[in-house]
Amino acid sequence: MRRFFVVLRKELKEMLTWHTLVPILLIMVIYSFLGRTINQEQKKQAAPQPITVVDLDCSQTSEMLAGILTKANFKVTTVTEGVEGDIVRKVVSEKGSAVLVIPQGFETGIQAQHPQKVETYTIMRNFSMMGIQGTFRMEAALSAMNEYIGDMYIRSGAPGLDPAIVKHAISAQSFVTVGMTSAEGDPQEIVSLVMQQTMIIPIVLFLVIIMAAQMIAASIASEKENKTLETLLSTPVARGALVTAKMMASGIVALVSAAAYMVGMKSYMGSLIGSSAGTSGTAIQAIEKLGLVLDLRGYILLGLSVFAGIMVALSIAVILGAFAEDLKSVQILIMPLMMVVLLPYLITMFIDINTASPVLKWVIYAIPFSHPFLAAQFIFAHNFTMVVAGIIYQFALFFVLAAVAARIFSTDRILTMKLNTARRGSGLGGWTLQREGISLRIRRK
Amino acid sequence: MEQALIVENLKKSYGRFEALHGISFEVAPGEIFALIGPNGAGKTTALRIVATILQPTSGTVHVYGMDVQKDAARIREIISYLPEEAGAYKNLTGFGYLSFMAELFASDAAIQREYIQRASDITGLGERLRDKIGTYSKGMTRKLLLSRAVMTHPKLAVIDEPTSGLDVVAAIDIRESIRRTATEGMAVLLSSHNMLEIEYLSDRVAIIDKGTIHDVGTPQGLKDKYGKANLEEVFVQVVKQ
Repeated sequence: MRRFFVVLRKELKEMLTWHTLVPILLIMVIYSFLGRTINQEQKKQAAPQPITVVDLDCSQTSEMLAGILTKANFKVTTVTEGVEGDIVRKVVSEKGSAVLVIPQGFETGIQAQHPQKVETYTIMRNFSMMGIQGTFRMEAALSAMNEYIGDMYIRSGAPGLDPAIVKHAISAQSFVTVGMTSAEGDPQEIVSLVMQQTMIIPIVLFLVIIMAAQMIAASIASEKENKTLETLLSTPVARGALVTAKMMASGIVALVSAAAYMVGMKSYMGSLIGSSAGTSGTAIQAIEKLGLVLDLRGYILLGLSVFAGIMVALSIAVILGAFAEDLKSVQILIMPLMMVVLLPYLITMFIDINTASPVLKWVIYAIPFSHPFLAAQFIFAHNFTMVVAGIIYQFALFFVLAAVAARIFSTDRILTMKLNTARRGSGLGGWTLQREGISLRIRRK
Repeated sequence: MEQALIVENLKKSYGRFEALHGISFEVAPGEIFALIGPNGAGKTTALRIVATILQPTSGTVHVYGMDVQKDAARIREIISYLPEEAGAYKNLTGFGYLSFMAELFASDAAIQREYIQRASDITGLGERLRDKIGTYSKGMTRKLLLSRAVMTHPKLAVIDEPTSGLDVVAAIDIRESIRRTATEGMAVLLSSHNMLEIEYLSDRVAIIDKGTIHDVGTPQGLKDKYGKANLEEVFVQVVKQ
């Protein structure tokens, strides 16, 4: 039995290294951060949601309905006059999210037990999973109103009351507004159609970034491990040319990956638009009218953002690769980069960037990999300034990081920097980034 | 005649650790000069500085009159460096590797072809040059790399532990290749902790330990000076002093 424990202890010592513990700890930290952030966002969703009621009937019933909406956790602003289109545009400019139009003659119709139609405008600014929640608000509002009218009919006890009118006295003609354009269509159907176009982007992008970064870091590490790098550095090739050639090669491969992904996306979207089973023609017409289909400009911007993200990842990977002594250490060096890519991927999937707190918003914007994930959402929301700003930021960061990488290659740091995860004799654990003798030790407390 | 290599008071520190404490030596054209010493003596650091891939902390190194710090790019045109236990790109064939390296040095296609031909002749690998390097034995890879190092007619070849880890037959082949190419006028700076090998190969040796050169001379001159039968015994005597 004693021998069993000797072997067990040895196995655990081999398995529980920093190589295995760091990713576990990082994932734990990221998920806890993500959980807290999503929780805060959900609390925001639970707060009373603003709705503008355009009451063109100005009757007792329509006033009562506004009161019902307040009880159903809506923050109601009532407008009684004006042109419908102008009011919607005003609400859009005031960052509102929903408009309900009660037409003239509404009360008379209800009293005559005739089904009534209201118009609803869902203003879309976000196409993430959180954004889709906004589309349920109108359904909730309509349901609250129908319940009220239904109760009213039942209480009146009028003879020959049609059960259909008791259940559905009010139906909605739904419109979706993006920017200043409105189109008729079911908001949920439209959002899910848009999400189908974009949901594949983060997954493919995550894979491409990680693949490209691992390729270049492994290439540097294997050159160091096989000592082919030393040989190359002693040849008449300029150091700048060496690092540029390495980055360009990986960049070209990454560009081909990005292009392949864009072509695949286009074909995927084409088949989606062309033969969407279960998707109504109205919804397809609506996304086309609302500009929720990527056009050439959209593809170019999205492609540029994706490419810039890959180049940033490559330049970081070159710097990280310079620390690697062998292929095994590449895994641990690339891990922080993977986490930095994973974080905006998850955040942008679950959080509405428009309503996020300023601190969280800037944290997301500061992470260069957030921009390719956000690009599609911004393009659909016609916020091209943010897409272009993101691309400029990514390229600026790339040039800075590429300069740092070139500097490392032009000095002897490329051979002397290394990541040492071994424990020292003093019993201090932790990470050591060292240049044969110069140690930057982060002590574990 | 201009010296192939002049090293004067060369120091190299890694942070607070000083690997070389001010070493000096010279190598003449056509001479095989060896740094001998145990692992960690500073041999590789000295060779890497001469090969322009590390920068000295202080002191000077001149290769045919050119300074390693100021004229590194020009020096790389006339030297070649073979690191200890260096590998090659395993997915390339022997020919592919020689062609790639020759292209980095050659100014035109004719010279590139000449370099490849010379390397092929030196390796003695024949048809195996068409196979991927990943299939080579350690000895074959070393022969390929050595032929690569000398194919460009470098004026100075810097070779770190030329036969480390090789069997006797492969080691003898490598030594003979170095000897043969040196007779064509190429200066050679090499390092080894195999002192018997150095005794056979070198014209002059420098005994280095813990970053300091203790003595320099011909193998026979050093043996006579210390009254010892071989360089190993000389080394032990010198270091003890």
